[in-house]
Amino acid sequence: MKPNRSLTLFLVIVGAAGCASTPPPLELVAARTAYERASRGPAAELTPADLHSAKETLDVAERSFEEDGDSQETKDIAYVAERRTEVAEARARARQALRQKEQVTAQMRAAQAAEARRTAAELGRTSAELGRAKQQMATQEQQLQNERQRREEAEKRAAQASKDLARIATVKQETRGIVITLSGSILFASGKSDLLPAAQAKLNEVADALNKQDPNSTIVVEGHTDSRGNASLNQELSQRRAQSVRDYLVSRGIASDRVTAQGLGSAQAVADNASAEGRANNRRVEIVVRPAPASDPYGSAQ
Amino acid sequence: MSKLSIVSIALSFTLACGASYPEPTQRMADAQGAERSARELGAASQPKAQLHLKLAQEQIAEAKSLLEEGDNKRADFVLSRAKADAEFALALAREQNARVEAQRAIDQANTALSASPSQGAQR
Repeated sequence: MKPNRSLTLFLVIVGAAGCASTPPPLELVAARTAYERASRGPAAELTPADLHSAKETLDVAERSFEEDGDSQETKDIAYVAERRTEVAEARARARQALRQKEQVTAQMRAAQAAEARRTAAELGRTSAELGRAKQQMATQEQQLQNERQRREEAEKRAAQASKDLARIATVKQETRGIVITLSGSILFASGKSDLLPAAQAKLNEVADALNKQDPNSTIVVEGHTDSRGNASLNQELSQRRAQSVRDYLVSRGIASDRVTAQGLGSAQAVADNASAEGRANNRRVEIVVRPAPASDPYGSAQ
Repeated sequence: MSKLSIVSIALSFTLACGASYPEPTQRMADAQGAERSARELGAASQPKAQLHLKLAQEQIAEAKSLLEEGDNKRADFVLSRAKADAEFALALAREQNARVEAQRAIDQANTALSASPSQGAQR
């Protein structure tokens, strides 16, 4: 058996030497290159199982090359190894594309959802604004209705008051308001500003009539004298008399902030001061009721 | 050298020559199935995939010739190549389809975003 052993050893040595010196076939070189490239690329992360399968085939090709050199089988196996490597790479690229698709789709859905939320919020704001506007309109309508009612009531009261006043004094409707004229001789003794007892009874009726007027109207009590005597004294007297009447009216329930007193002396005569009758007409107290300014129901909204 | 050794060597030689190598029917079915899948997925419409599809088809044809000649072993290896090429063509076709889907998604997203009122320049 010794010669046989020698022969076997010889064949092994020759075979190994042959493999060591034989350059690898192109298929094996290409498979190695492909695997090197793939193992550094996305396939390593995305398709590791495919890459592993390619590596196993490449290992078989390497062993085949070690054992059989550049045989057709080595070339075939290396060829298959290269293709498998390329399959791993192609599948990795496909997964990358699908991932990109998923990301883009998710981003688009998120953007659409955000847009829907923005639209809903905007709609909510618009609805709220509309609701507020409706509420405001309803409030204004109510204010308008109240104002209309108040005016109607005020007009009724004024008409009634005018009727009442007409019985006790001269009542005129002028641009400055309702003017109630009371003769000075009925109210005051000559040169005095204290109310006569009879005047108080008269003023009670006037106060009752004024209390029926629109509570928002304002009242000016004007004192007038004739032109006899000192103008300055007349002015003072007319002021005191207007004040007496004003204070009395307040004592009879007219709100103090509604009524003011103003002495005008003899400046605004209504009759000729040359005659006794004319002077008697000029000595007077005029109570001017000014209607309340119309309130603007839309004023608060602007 | 014993009789047994001589028989083993002879048997190995015989197998190596392919005389009793089993017919690679499964390999043929696998290769043909992969080739059909690649075709159905549109490998013929993409240049690189088309090339490997064609290689697979040629190798299947070559394997059939080899089988007729009785060279089962060589046919088996050729079919391995054919299957590998067909699978590569299939993977390339799938990659192409995935790229098309991704691009379509990008286009849809761009269209949706440009149509969105909050993206409008005149808003």
